[in-house]
Amino acid sequence: MDQTTNALRGEGIALSFGGIKVLKGLDVEFRAGEITGLIGPNGAGKTSLFNCLTGAYSPQQGTISYAGDRLNGLPPAARANKGIVRSFQHVALCPDLTVRENVMMGIARYGKAGWLSAFLPLPAGAREREEMARSADKALVDLGLPDVGDKFPAELPPGMQRLVEIARAVVGKPSVLMLDEPAAGLNNSETRDLTTVLRKLASTDLVLVVVEHDMDLVMSICDRIYVLNFGEFVAVGSPEEVRSNPDVIQIYLGSDDDE
Amino acid sequence: MSDQATHMTPDQTVLSRLSGVATSGVTTTVLVAALIFMPFLLGGSWTFTLGLCFANSIGVLAVSLLVRYGGEVSIGHTFFTALGAYSVGVLDVRYGISLWASVPLALLLGVTFGLLFAWPSRNLHGIYLAVTTLALALAVPEMINNFDALTGGYEGLYVSTPFIPGVSMGMQRYYVALVMLVIVCVAVARLRLSRQGMALLLAKTHPSAADAFGTRRVWARISIMGISGGIGALCGATLAFSGSTVSPGGFTFWQAIFLLVGSVVSFYGLSLPRVLIGGAFVTLVPQLLSASGAWIPVFYGLALLGMILLGHYMPRIRKAMAQKSEVA
Repeated sequence: MDQTTNALRGEGIALSFGGIKVLKGLDVEFRAGEITGLIGPNGAGKTSLFNCLTGAYSPQQGTISYAGDRLNGLPPAARANKGIVRSFQHVALCPDLTVRENVMMGIARYGKAGWLSAFLPLPAGAREREEMARSADKALVDLGLPDVGDKFPAELPPGMQRLVEIARAVVGKPSVLMLDEPAAGLNNSETRDLTTVLRKLASTDLVLVVVEHDMDLVMSICDRIYVLNFGEFVAVGSPEEVRSNPDVIQIYLGSDDDE
Repeated sequence: MSDQATHMTPDQTVLSRLSGVATSGVTTTVLVAALIFMPFLLGGSWTFTLGLCFANSIGVLAVSLLVRYGGEVSIGHTFFTALGAYSVGVLDVRYGISLWASVPLALLLGVTFGLLFAWPSRNLHGIYLAVTTLALALAVPEMINNFDALTGGYEGLYVSTPFIPGVSMGMQRYYVALVMLVIVCVAVARLRLSRQGMALLLAKTHPSAADAFGTRRVWARISIMGISGGIGALCGATLAFSGSTVSPGGFTFWQAIFLLVGSVVSFYGLSLPRVLIGGAFVTLVPQLLSASGAWIPVFYGLALLGMILLGHYMPRIRKAMAQKSEVA
């Protein structure tokens, strides 16, 4: 299948808060089968772009589409139903749910058991919960967290909480997966595990986008990188092209003069 | 860890860890068993009062559920309790229909009106939603009086049709309320483990995350108001049967406040023991203080303060006692 057929596209995306232009007419194409990195200094507009693509923000201008379907105007929940999911910069796990249950929320949208099953001991509800729990446990194992299902998020260190959030995002086998700073708070070993998981996830069907400050991670896993600064792209290309781009070196990675 | 704990299924582990020792299955079972035998130990008036206590516990649960799953406070739940109570009262007195039919109708009406209230108020939060529910509470007595041909106006209605023919009404008023309370508590415990319940909790704590995984926050708000309204109506239906009379005086603004107080006193607990504490506070404290005359509000306030402080410091007291016993 052509990589661009199932691409997540944004054309001319512009977003302002008051008089401040956060995104200035961005054109993006995140392709299936690739891992795309989105980097830039703090305040560059990375998370705002994420929010526009996932429906949390409505850009004032521009169109967003996935696999040819226009997404503008669709709320985040409707985009999630199309398989477009994300993780959050600040961990957003529910403290009242166990780790397993938090991960189960990643596939809750596929649930069919009705309200009666929620209150009465009907087999449909029990079966559904069992299946969801099994999928959640598998996702946790894939992320190197086999023994934490019964714990509550507050009992885990921040790095593990972030991995749980990633497990919640991947458990539903999304078609577009957008990870906002997935390696923040992870130690070296956890980051290595995450790298392995992300490489395993990359498939011909999945659009995988990673916003990240860990340059080693981005450079090692991404096929293509967008560099954002002050709401504009300053470079787009392979890790090698981005690494050698003088503008990127100047504004983001640091020039030789700084050393 | 005990063997019993290690052999629990994940669901059992969750419930066990959520509820703690005070509300464990054994405690609840013992409590229910004790309540089953209570009418044989107590006099008729206490049996009657405990029936009301169980009914009020359901109301406390309705308010606590809204807090725990919706993150919102209601000071107007008497609207739903009145709806349930008058469903039972009107069907009983006007049409001779017993609880078999009127309780499901009360539940349906409570859910329906909960949904109808939730839709226009779906974007209101915190104090704004609370004040909106207040409007419901203030409107209830007037509405009842305006429909006096049906509701009996100030005089109210006397519910006398037995639920189970052949069993004394005194016993029925007690046991029906107890069974209703147990059923509602079990249903709410099941909700916690369901996909819908988990989605409601996620929507309460992280609406953006819930949205991002397919749970619309509007759905969450409307659903929890519907459920809470339905349980509120069941409270009213039980009150009507156990209390035998339905009149506007039972559904005033102050009654709505008392339900909220009961919810606070039970620390928004949803387990049977916790809601019973709330229900007992709503029902028994005013009765125990009835001989205090003008001092009733003062003593009620002190009792409320005492309960809150006890709940607040109890974990520390328990911890200190445990440390002391370890040292000993």
